Parts: sequence; structure tokens; C-alpha cells
Amino acid sequence: MPPFSRFFCNPLLFTLQISMASSDKKPELAPASTGIQGQEAPGKPESIATTVIDAGAKLVQSMKPIQKIKQHACTFALYGHDLHRQIETSHYISRLNNDFLQCAVYDSDESSARLIGIEYVISAELFERLPAEEQKLWHSHAYEVKAGLWASPRLPDLIEKPELENLARTYGKFWCTWQVDRGDRLPLGAPALMMSPQGVNAGMVRPEMVKRRDDRLGISSKDLKEARLEMAEPEWIHPNADYWKQHRKGFAVDVVSAEMKTVAAFP
Amino acid sequence: MAAATGQIPGDPTPFSVSLAETASSAIQSFAPISRIHQHLCAFHFYADDMSRQIEAHHFCAHLNEDVRQCLVFDSPDPGARLIGVEYIVSEPIYLTLPDEEKPLWHSHEFEVKSGILFLPGVSGAVQRQDLEKVAKTYGKTFHFWQVDRGDELPLGIPNLMMALTRDGQLHENLSQDVEKKFGVSFAEERGRRAYMSGPEHGVHPLANGAGKGLKLELREVALPPTASVPRVFV
Repeated sequence: MPPFSRFFCNPLLFTLQISMASSDKKPELAPASTGIQGQEAPGKPESIATTVIDAGAKLVQSMKPIQKIKQHACTFALYGHDLHRQIETSHYISRLNNDFLQCAVYDSDESSARLIGIEYVISAELFERLPAEEQKLWHSHAYEVKAGLWASPRLPDLIEKPELENLARTYGKFWCTWQVDRGDRLPLGAPALMMSPQGVNAGMVRPEMVKRRDDRLGISSKDLKEARLEMAEPEWIHPNADYWKQHRKGFAVDVVSAEMKTVAAFP
Repeated sequence: MAAATGQIPGDPTPFSVSLAETASSAIQSFAPISRIHQHLCAFHFYADDMSRQIEAHHFCAHLNEDVRQCLVFDSPDPGARLIGVEYIVSEPIYLTLPDEEKPLWHSHEFEVKSGILFLPGVSGAVQRQDLEKVAKTYGKTFHFWQVDRGDELPLGIPNLMMALTRDGQLHENLSQDVEKKFGVSFAEERGRRAYMSGPEHGVHPLANGAGKGLKLELREVALPPTASVPRVFV
């Protein structure tokens, strides 16, 4: 007899339960979601055996896609369904071509950092080719770059500068899979669509967050902004990007029941 | 479309940009990325469509002994597309998840014991040391790029993914393709992994979508008015 006898016999109840996994719904209080920011993931410290096995694997395995991660940037993002919730991010960036970047996004730049999502960055040319419905999920980068919010830690200006102007013309799509800022100790619920800082009202990053980031990195966003004053702005930001600005609406993601197309028995 | 060969639309990277990246890769710090120690190959299918199956290359790091976080690519090559993420937790951690969360996670017992999930390049004996632990874990996977339907760019909303739970699910051609590419035999490994066991309490009935299909849907939400909130210009 299986140790667990809790089955959801009522399909309606099951559906309601699943909707609590929506990206914009606060999870119930549980060990996995204490609601307190800054708590580590539950679990025991890495054992020596694990460390040894990992080290061994790293020596013999080829990690080519990881070796393509060559840039680190620190910036800010806002939850698309609640712009008051703002986070600092560490982006680890891999370039696939001159028009496309793929970023692994973490909540800090330390080795204990949690993987909180993925952001894709594309040139204006690629963005313009997207269907309108798709464009709504993307955000512009011009303000973020020119305001000095996007920073490349430790990288001399000389190296960073040429690419920044291109970056200012790009659009991003960022899905957050771990809402650490609301105290989730584990990744819960559906991914949340994130938006970028913008120069108006709700899109502005709280000054104390920026100061905290600046102090930690020993940089000044204000200085970066001044240095970037001369940088060309994109002539035009596509109106379908940054959807909330014109429509005062954001997007949330729900998990819903669906008929599974199968090829064999499941589970 | 050329999506099958992983061609992303766009111009080739100019030399000046590559040079800048070589510099940044040497100068900057990549601490969280340095934690990535393991390459693991397995298959995912869409949580509402088992017939759509993807060869998934996981590059994993331990957050601690019980929690791993992985970047999921569509191949092990330098030009691989970053298509998703997977989180892996031990059984005790899984059991603490709220009940509405548990169905989003899948079990790993079958994938590991069948030999289908493996560590490319690592000898059998060494990989089994870790995989006996993985067999007891649960994973949560989202993909953001539907490369299997030929999307040149990551379009649409995320997809919840599931993992193989029994024989007969994995497409024969995908299976043979991977065995050939990596010089492995799932059947042989299955034999050697027969000693392994899954979660101590058995696979939880709520895992793997609680046996049902799941999918994600997008919903528009009204944002609160901000007129009343004074903001300082940043």
C-alpha cells in the first residue's frame, strides 16, 4: 500500500490548486516559501564526495556551451505584473551572433548565486520581424543603458563602450523562474515575465537599490550615465515593446490542466 | 528556416566584438558559472504533448547537496541554443513543496535506471556514483524556445516540460541517434544500474503532473495606477 493516500479526486479542486502556481500568485506559506527575503535554499552543504565527483566530471567533460559565456553584466529588472517588485540581476551572457545574445540570469555574482531565469537579447532588426503579439512580451534596453543601470563589473570603459551603443538598440525577453525577492527558498510556480527599467514613473528603479548595487561594486551609476550622455539613442523604440507603458497592463502566466497527447502510458 | 541546424537569424559576430569578449572573459568574474561542473544528457517532452520530445543537454551546478540548478541547451556544441532551465531537488526537499507545486515537478527514477539519462564522456562507474543520487530526485523544467517546431527565435510563452517515466515513451529514432552520437548503449547501462532505487517513499503521486497534462497560459493583468506614488528620477 503506497505511503501516500492523498489523491485529488475532485477535478475542480485539482484545477483550483494548480492555479495557485500562477506567476503572480503568492505561494502558501511553507518551508519552501517563508516570505522572508534572503534565505538560502534548503538542503545540506555539499558533501566532499559530491565535490570530488563534480571536479572529476568537470575535468573530462566538454562544456562548450558554458565556455561561450564571456560577459558579465549587472542590472535591474521589474516584475511585469507588479512593477513595484524590483530586483538586481547578474547576467552571464553568451553571444550566438551579432544580433542575438542568450543570458543566464542569477540573483548575485557570488558562487552561491541562484539561477533565477533566462533573458534573450535581440537586435532591433530581429525585433522588427517578430509578430505584434510576440513583441508585447519584450522590453527595450535604451533607458537602462543610458541611465547607467546596466554595468559591466571590472570591465574598462574602453572595452565596454563600443558594444554598449549596440546594446542600447536591443530588445530583451526575460523569464524569471525563481522569485527570490518574495522569499521563495525554492523555485515555485510558473515563470514570471520581467520588464526593464524605464524613465517614467513605475519603471524607475528605487534609488536605494541602485545605491546598494553601486556601493557593492564600487561604481557610480550617475558617472556611468554621464559617460554615456554622448552615446547615440535609438531613433525610435518600437511601441509594442514595454507593453505596460502604453497599456498599463502586465502579463502573468498560469498553469492549467490540459489533455496530454500521449504515445504511451503516463505516468 | 534552417532551425534544425541551429541557425539563428542575424549577422556573424564581427572580429571587434569577439575581441572585446575575449577580453571580458579574461577580466571579469564568473563565479556562478564556475560552479557548473557537470554535463548531463536526457530527454524532455512537453507537459501536454508527449509526442514532442527534445534531446536536452543540462549543464548543472550544485547549490548545495540537495539542490541543483541547470542550464538546458539543445546540443553540447559551442553554438548551442539556451532553451531552458531545470532545477533538481532531493526527495526530502520535494516533500516540503506545497501540494499545488508538486505536479510541476517530474521524477528521475525511470530516466536514470533505464540508462537514458547519462553524463557524456564520463566512465560508467564514476557516473553511477552520482546517478544513484539523481534517481531519487525530482526535477522542474521550463523551456523557452520551441526548437523542435523549427522556431528560429525564442517565441511565445514558456513551456512546462516533463521527463520519461516508462518504456515505450521515447521515440526510437531519438534514442538511437543519441546512442550513436555519444557511443553509449542505454540497454547496457540499464543492466548496470539495476541495483539503483528511486525515491525512498516511491514516486510521489502528485509528481509528473499528477499523471495529467499541464500547460501554461498567458493572462493580462491590470497594473495599479502610479499617480499617487512619488518617484525620484534615477
